[in-house]
Amino acid sequence: MRLLDAELLASREILPGQWLQDYHAPWLAGGCRAGQFVHVRTPDYSGLVLRRPFSVNTVDRATGTFSIHFRITGQGSAWMARARPGEQLAMLGPLGRPFEVAPSTRHVLLIAGGLGMAGVRALADEALQAGRRVTLLFGAASAAQVYPTSLLPDEVEYVVATDDGSLGQRGYVTDLVPDFEAWADQAFACGPQPMLAALAGLARGRDTRLGVARLRRKRGRAHAAASSGSAQARRRAWLQVSMEQNMGCAVGACLGCVVHGVDGPVRVCREGPVFAADEIAWEPAS
Amino acid sequence: MKRTQQVTASQPRPALQPSDVDLSIDLAPGRPGGLGLRNPILVASGTFGYGIEYREVVDVQRLGGICCKGTTLRARFGNEPPRVTETPAGMLNSIGLQNPGVDAVIEKYAAQWATWHVPVIVNVAGESIEDYVEVVRRLDGVPGVAGIELNISCPNVGNGGLQFAVDREAAGAVTAAVRRATDLPLMVKLSPNVADVRAIAKAIEAAGADAISAINTLSGMALDRVRRRPLLGNTYGGLSGPAIRPVALRIVYEVAQTVRIPIVAVGGVSALDDVLDFLLAGASAVQVGTALFADPGLPVRLIGELAAWCAGQGLGSFRELIGGALPAGRDRPSVKGAEYRP
Repeated sequence: MRLLDAELLASREILPGQWLQDYHAPWLAGGCRAGQFVHVRTPDYSGLVLRRPFSVNTVDRATGTFSIHFRITGQGSAWMARARPGEQLAMLGPLGRPFEVAPSTRHVLLIAGGLGMAGVRALADEALQAGRRVTLLFGAASAAQVYPTSLLPDEVEYVVATDDGSLGQRGYVTDLVPDFEAWADQAFACGPQPMLAALAGLARGRDTRLGVARLRRKRGRAHAAASSGSAQARRRAWLQVSMEQNMGCAVGACLGCVVHGVDGPVRVCREGPVFAADEIAWEPAS
Repeated sequence: MKRTQQVTASQPRPALQPSDVDLSIDLAPGRPGGLGLRNPILVASGTFGYGIEYREVVDVQRLGGICCKGTTLRARFGNEPPRVTETPAGMLNSIGLQNPGVDAVIEKYAAQWATWHVPVIVNVAGESIEDYVEVVRRLDGVPGVAGIELNISCPNVGNGGLQFAVDREAAGAVTAAVRRATDLPLMVKLSPNVADVRAIAKAIEAAGADAISAINTLSGMALDRVRRRPLLGNTYGGLSGPAIRPVALRIVYEVAQTVRIPIVAVGGVSALDDVLDFLLAGASAVQVGTALFADPGLPVRLIGELAAWCAGQGLGSFRELIGGALPAGRDRPSVKGAEYRP
């Protein structure tokens, strides 16, 4: 983690109200992994006192650049959308814990709901570079909000669901998951909390549905030995989720961004934003 | 018409370098050993964790002091999320004193603190006088604990905390009980959520506090318009940031004319001007809180800026500023400089 200035290189509105921005910050791009985030300072401290957290969307180590993808939701993001190439933005990062892909995983399933694309997008690149196959399931309200295929690598199999059926399958992105759960060695999701809770429910029943027997090592490190919150625990989980919460400091000091974990409150900024799905105490869908 | 700048050969001041300026301050001058800080810029409780969270981006050793996260007798899970939200020129928080409990705090952090030059002041909260006394008793004599900040004013816990800050007798009683339990320097944090803070400050001073910090957050709330319900999981939260700075300034100004013990100002400090305002209003030191979230480097920068400003004004010590804006003829709060000796 470091405080640094990142230069805005390019900024474009890829969907109504949704922006993709490229930044030059070699140190950050060099050390950043999929699932981590940056905390961006807005210029007007007298009015906007908090930084804004953004998932790192894509990383290009060769050019020292990375991108973020966000929706205008208030004054801070509106200001960022108005920023012009050449401007320097103060950032803190990389922050939080990344997605952990098990070495044995061949088939990676990414599941994104709406702006949740920003949370899992970087993992598509990372997984492809490691020689894995990637399927990306994406859900949006309608065709107008569907993330453009042109912004995805060609090797990614892209499957879309829309609430109104205007593109792809009609329904929720979670409806697409059963067709891929046997194929996928691991799944990684980001999106609204009810979507993640539904996926966590699906993941819990997966072993039974597929008749998977979990083989444990006779000696040495048993599954239970991977302490909750560790990279190991995440690497062993079939489903990892990237969580969102209002955030203050983003370094673990203020305890503002907690969500309920099974063992008590966990900080999205420090223990997360990526959690194994079974580390979170999911609220029953209301 | 061309105007020529009249250059007057002003009397050259004795050139003072920022490094010549004495920034030290003792927050417990009445206590044997005192609570000497190397500079008057502290970080506020709840915004800096236990001092280790920011260490990758802040040189914590340069701070005047660290007020750690509120600590209670037993572990607390805190309030329902969401716990923070931004508001005009400020933010609301309702953390609810989440902390692992005093024993875990001592075990996990005190050894580290003991190796630091910067004094760590442990912020203590409780639901009863017995709670406060027991927590302080366990902290007493622990290497690395330089002092106590008594949080009698947390607005975010149901039946605890705030009740002590709004009642003169209760504030005096809890301060006196803690005073009897420890020889550690004792600072008590005032709540702004009262009609007249002066009587409470007076009672706290009379009960033996070494210093007063002012102010804690103002009680407030925010709504989720779409879902038509309170935004924060706890409904109410504490307002902090530049929005509350004028309130903090008013209370520091009032308390400075009421008590003689040092006052540590806290509330929306985000620039050198704010530090100067609070010092002139009678504070002996300031805590930086919410501004840390946007600008973690601010407290360390303020130390240098204060020294440079004092040098530019020809002040050998920043202490000459303390209470400079108070009405004449009043007693100044008692302060005395001392080098911090770990």
